[in-house]
Amino acid sequence: MNPIVDLQNVTKSYRDKLVLDAVSLSIPTNQVTAIVGKNGSGKSTLLKLIGGLIKADRGEILYRNGEPVRFGYVPEVTPTYIPFTPIEYLTHMGTIRGLQNKWLQQRIHTLLEIFHMKDNGNNRIVHFSKGMKQKVTIMQAMLEETDLLIMDEPLSGLDLEAQTEMEELLISLKERNISVVLTCHETKLLQRVVDQIIVIDQCNIIQTENHQAQEKSMNRLIFELTKTVSIDSIKQQNVIIKQEKEMGFHKKMIELNVSEEHTNKIVSEFLDRGASIKLLEPLHKKETEFLNQF
Amino acid sequence: MKGLVHYHFTTYFRTYKYVPPFSVFIMMLVINYTYVPNPILDSYSYTSIMLFFIMGWFTITIFHAEDEGQKQITIMHAKNKKVYYISLILNCTLTALVLCIVAVAYPVVFNAFTPGLHSIHLVMGFLAHFSLAVLSIALSSFFTRGLVKNNVNSWWGVISILIGSLVISVEKVEVLKIKLINWVLPPLRYSMEIMSVDDQSISFPVKVYGQFAWIFIYSLIVITIFIAVMEKRKAL
Ligand SMILES: Nc1ncnc2c1ncn2[C@@H]1O[C@H](COP(=O)(O)OP(=O)(O)O)[C@@H](O)[C@H]1O
Ligand SMILES: [Mg+2]
Repeated sequence: MNPIVDLQNVTKSYRDKLVLDAVSLSIPTNQVTAIVGKNGSGKSTLLKLIGGLIKADRGEILYRNGEPVRFGYVPEVTPTYIPFTPIEYLTHMGTIRGLQNKWLQQRIHTLLEIFHMKDNGNNRIVHFSKGMKQKVTIMQAMLEETDLLIMDEPLSGLDLEAQTEMEELLISLKERNISVVLTCHETKLLQRVVDQIIVIDQCNIIQTENHQAQEKSMNRLIFELTKTVSIDSIKQQNVIIKQEKEMGFHKKMIELNVSEEHTNKIVSEFLDRGASIKLLEPLHKKETEFLNQF
Repeated sequence: MKGLVHYHFTTYFRTYKYVPPFSVFIMMLVINYTYVPNPILDSYSYTSIMLFFIMGWFTITIFHAEDEGQKQITIMHAKNKKVYYISLILNCTLTALVLCIVAVAYPVVFNAFTPGLHSIHLVMGFLAHFSLAVLSIALSSFFTRGLVKNNVNSWWGVISILIGSLVISVEKVEVLKIKLINWVLPPLRYSMEIMSVDDQSISFPVKVYGQFAWIFIYSLIVITIFIAVMEKRKAL
């Protein structure tokens, strides 16, 4: 899959302190990438580099084949005292951004819907829980159409319920084709949603797929369908094609892995095309030692 | 810019941080004009120096009204630190304007002056208040949280520089004899000199307007330096 942001040999230091040493990594499109590492390891610095808020000393940061990427940035510190309602607040921020009012009101309406905050649109933010304040902070980052949402420690300080809600929110953002990069201390919390984990340690990074999360929630599907039916549009979705082979003159068989959340959708798309299900089973769960060290 | 000024204003209004300085300001006017009649220019000179101090209070509270974390977000939306700080300064100036009008109008409305009030007195009164208020904004801005991390230091800093400026102006300190330093120090004393003339004189030389203008220009230079320094700061 095409990366939305690509870092190549990026070096960053503050005065004499080296934070990132020739780091290369890519942020895949429409996925959730988590950056983990100890305090002071450079997670926030990496996020700011990705979002173009600070400049690298050396190396290159490439964005999706020339196409401009629209960033939303959620800072580490969630403001605690905002003397407005979400609608007032987002209107102020949007106006300061220079957005046209009519469009802005429409957008705020949409955001309140995505974040399940419609009932709280006219209540003062000061009375909100930490989790709801966090949501408002994410909404302000998405006032304009967003391709890549950058979140610094979105889970810190949230109770379990709010964390679960945040997970669901991330899934719904992913479904809206928004790529997400976030930092956190513990990956365990986000295993259901994170696709890729980047570990920073001593100025270097290790980039891995979240196998555990993937295997935990993946299904293996096998369909049989008419050869002439096109399934190109399905292939572009969140599926991993394992094999495709012809069966006789008219039929073909296709095997693919799909995450649990997408299974229903993919199955129904195949059925719409006249395919028949030959197999549907959950993929084997396997504990990966690697993740447990965090 | 308009959006930002409006946002800063509403934020300040909703935090109620203006209540203490505003109350003190009104109280001060009431006390000052309890006994009538009062000399005109003398009274204006006195309340303008009071405003000079109270404006420092307003400036700090206006700059600190917004949540610290929110400040980063607002600057990001404004895409420009300069605009952000200009908006704050504008809010301070608008507040100053309102206070000046109140300070000039109050004794007139309540008939607290000796007879012989002339419109030129009002003009001079307004200029004295407004010039010192703007000067106070300029000097105080250097002690807001962008440059001074500790809140207590902000207050000490503002009080020190405002008192310092006043002392230098009142006591004709030795250093004033050196021309160059004279230009660098806050030109508080011009206003005080102008306002120390007799109430009978209703014609002021052109030089007077030049001196007021210098106070404004001086303040503008200080504000420009402040904004330039803030822009240079990288912290985000
Ligand atoms: N603006 C800055 N100036 C100087 N040093 C900084 C600055 N920002 C971060 N650092 C230093 O860089 C290192 C990485 O910081 P950061 O990216 O915030 O780490 P993390 O988010 O993982 O806690 C830390 O040692 C921090 O002290
Ligand atoms: Mg950090």
